[in-house]
Amino acid sequence: MQAETNDLQYADVNNDIVRSIVETGPRYYVALGIAGGVALLCFFFPWFYQLYFGIGAAGLNHPGVWGTYLASFIFWIGLSHSGTLLSCVLHLTNSSWRKAMYRSAEAMTLFSLMVAATFVMVHVGRPWFIHWALPYANQMEMWPNFRSPLLFDVMAIATYLTGSSIFIYMGSIPDFAAVRDRTTGWRNTMYTLLSLGWRGTDREWHRLHWAYTFLAVLIIPLAVSVHSIVSWDFAMSLVPALHQTIFAPYFVVGAIYSGTAGIVTVMFVLRRYMNFEQYITKVHFDNLGKLLLLLSLIWTYINMVELFTAWYSDTSTEHEALSYKLFGYYAWLYWEMIAFCAVAPLLCISGRFRTSMVPMLILSIAINIGMYTERFLIVGTSLSRQYLPDSWGVYVPSLVEMSIILGSFALFTTLFLIFVKIFPSVSIYEVKETMDTPTVTSNAEPIAPPEGSPA
Amino acid sequence: MSIFERFTEGWKKYRKPGYYREFDYHWAMTIDLDKCTGCEACVTACKAENNLPIVGEEEFAKGREVQWIRIERYWEGEYPNVKLGFIPMLCQHCDAAPCETVCPVSATYHNQDGLNTQIYNRCIGTRSCAVYCPFEVRYFNFNDHHWDSPLDQQLNPDVTVREKGVMEKCTFCIQRIRQAKDDAKDDGRRRVRDGEVQPACVQSCPSNALVFGDRKDPDSQVAKSMKDPRAYRVLEELNTDPSVVYLKKVDAKG
Amino acid sequence: MKNFALGLFGEPSSALAAAGKLKGAGFDSLELMSPIPIAGVEEVLGEKKSVIKRFTLFGGLFGALFGFTLAAGTAVLYLHPVGGRPIITIPPFLIITYEALIFFGILFTVAGFFISSRLPAFRDRVYVPETGVDKFAVSVACDNEEHFKRAEAILHEAGAEQVREVGEED
Repeated sequence: MQAETNDLQYADVNNDIVRSIVETGPRYYVALGIAGGVALLCFFFPWFYQLYFGIGAAGLNHPGVWGTYLASFIFWIGLSHSGTLLSCVLHLTNSSWRKAMYRSAEAMTLFSLMVAATFVMVHVGRPWFIHWALPYANQMEMWPNFRSPLLFDVMAIATYLTGSSIFIYMGSIPDFAAVRDRTTGWRNTMYTLLSLGWRGTDREWHRLHWAYTFLAVLIIPLAVSVHSIVSWDFAMSLVPALHQTIFAPYFVVGAIYSGTAGIVTVMFVLRRYMNFEQYITKVHFDNLGKLLLLLSLIWTYINMVELFTAWYSDTSTEHEALSYKLFGYYAWLYWEMIAFCAVAPLLCISGRFRTSMVPMLILSIAINIGMYTERFLIVGTSLSRQYLPDSWGVYVPSLVEMSIILGSFALFTTLFLIFVKIFPSVSIYEVKETMDTPTVTSNAEPIAPPEGSPA
Repeated sequence: MSIFERFTEGWKKYRKPGYYREFDYHWAMTIDLDKCTGCEACVTACKAENNLPIVGEEEFAKGREVQWIRIERYWEGEYPNVKLGFIPMLCQHCDAAPCETVCPVSATYHNQDGLNTQIYNRCIGTRSCAVYCPFEVRYFNFNDHHWDSPLDQQLNPDVTVREKGVMEKCTFCIQRIRQAKDDAKDDGRRRVRDGEVQPACVQSCPSNALVFGDRKDPDSQVAKSMKDPRAYRVLEELNTDPSVVYLKKVDAKG
Repeated sequence: MKNFALGLFGEPSSALAAAGKLKGAGFDSLELMSPIPIAGVEEVLGEKKSVIKRFTLFGGLFGALFGFTLAAGTAVLYLHPVGGRPIITIPPFLIITYEALIFFGILFTVAGFFISSRLPAFRDRVYVPETGVDKFAVSVACDNEEHFKRAEAILHEAGAEQVREVGEED
């Protein structure tokens, strides 16, 4: 289907991808060192300071008790939403353009989920007791509160993390086997274990296909439920601007939106720096651009609906929350979000824009900045204007929080850099499936129906 | 009792709505806004009784003060025709409290006295209860607090000192309620007499604006004053069913 | 020690044709090995039924039951009045049920995959690394020399680039 991959042979795919794992240039180590260093310095160091000093290290106050940590948590969960979800949907609809990019998209899911889970720890006041939110038998005779939206979150994220790590692993088993045959030393031992003795027999392919399909069927509703549940952390409260029925679909769409933008960013980096030009092609950027356009339109629509209903009903609290959001202290952030997430993606109408790499990269980063702002606004502005005017207040993030946000991107990059050296970051066997197999030779006879009963 | 029996018993007892009205006591408070002068004696008494931290100027400016009861001031009209109203705001001990449902670790729950309680030991500090509370009466310990000598000598031994990362709020002075219940039991009485127990804020109110007692006892002072025609509850439309009832300030000029 | 005749093909259709002929000639234990899943295997080697879907179904049902029991059962055993709501609050518990359904559905699907695909298996089995790259192989279990000769002939006739004799530990 892709003109650019036609000159590739099966063996080239194996060579290219094994090389991407085994051959490591100095640039990689520099990048890993910088990312790891920044993660340590900007994420872990301020976090440890906060653990020692207390949540007071952040700019939180009353009534702004939720701040950027929770916004980051939603952001990272949201970013995780496109990888596995998109991969599952495209797998079930047999879209062949999925095949070159899904592995790294799923890895993005996995690592952004890990970063999100870390943000839960950063967010809570006493993270050393975080295990109390899990239902485990204990001598205190205490159980978590299963009515709490936060506990739905715990269950949903645990399931999602399990599901997406299993999904990415299952899809990689044949590739681990292919890499196993080409490596030596400790790598060979590792891939032998990871590939579980895969041989690529008809039986194994058949079972893998079905298991993979069932997993995809299970993960799609799971992914939708995860972000709905995250939205219920807010929507189940009585806070005027948060208590909205539209929040669940709003969050799901927003998550897929920012996740798709994240995939564009990652695809760009892989294409440019891992030399995957032949696998990640303009077709992918074109399709992702169309998807971004569609999602931005849905996102804008939901935003308008939210504003319109609040404005039309015009109860005093809703009115106050609305006008504060549009014209209050954080208003510039709101309009920045509209510019980045509602207006800028309209450029994707142009086919030339969608297939030009650098503009797409800039757009994808802009969208994610806008989406981070959206999450911050949901937490920040809503808590500032609640029922009792006496406890209105303003929350401004502190330096520690800013540094942790920056550090979380470095943490994600570190994890991703480790991933590309362990996992084949482009699926070997699925890329081969999109390629032309040798044509049928003339001496092949029509296949006789099997005789006797099928074994 | 077998697990199955416990399950069916619990189902019968706790599936019906309003079961919490059958608790042993139902502590409630009325606040007469006509009598309130906004003197903040209740705030001070509460600070002393419940070991509330004094956060200091800097933290106060950040909005991190801890006041289990606070006096909200509302101005009406433009200068020079300004009217000032006070509303003492404390935990409303809602019977349908949104803060209780949201806690993932059950650190806040409804006890058998109809109180909304906070278990400091269990709290992991998600702060979601503070967001879910429409009255904004939950306070978070952003840092560890310390009391300089000799202030540490005046800490109340009946009340814990909360560490960093823990949510806290008004308890209706649960330590005094416990004490009163123990005394009643020692005297061979089944119930606490009306007026026997008072939270620190009620005790210290110079104009007797605050009345505290058991709402289930129809002869109690609080039950009577709740029947006052001026009675209303703050944000009643949110259906959180607060146990604190306010008596409206009536303007002489109408 | 078991012996196998293993024919290597450059493309899937001739490998399939060879498999069909071997099947027709009465060879039963056939295996196709390929770098990608081959379409149309089932027409040649007979339809495959996997137990995975039963595992998924059972896992989902078990998970749903487990989830609801976990939430409702423990709520009753440790009475904890919260927010004036009933102790057994069905709508929120259904969300827990839903998540547990998916959680166990996933785990059981994986278990079903491992059991039905006979993985993990780390002992030496018939395998040629070329099938991980671009060759399609048909392997036939042969009881004796005569069988092997026949299989070899059929494989060559179907256009095998190479026929090898490989052994496997029992």
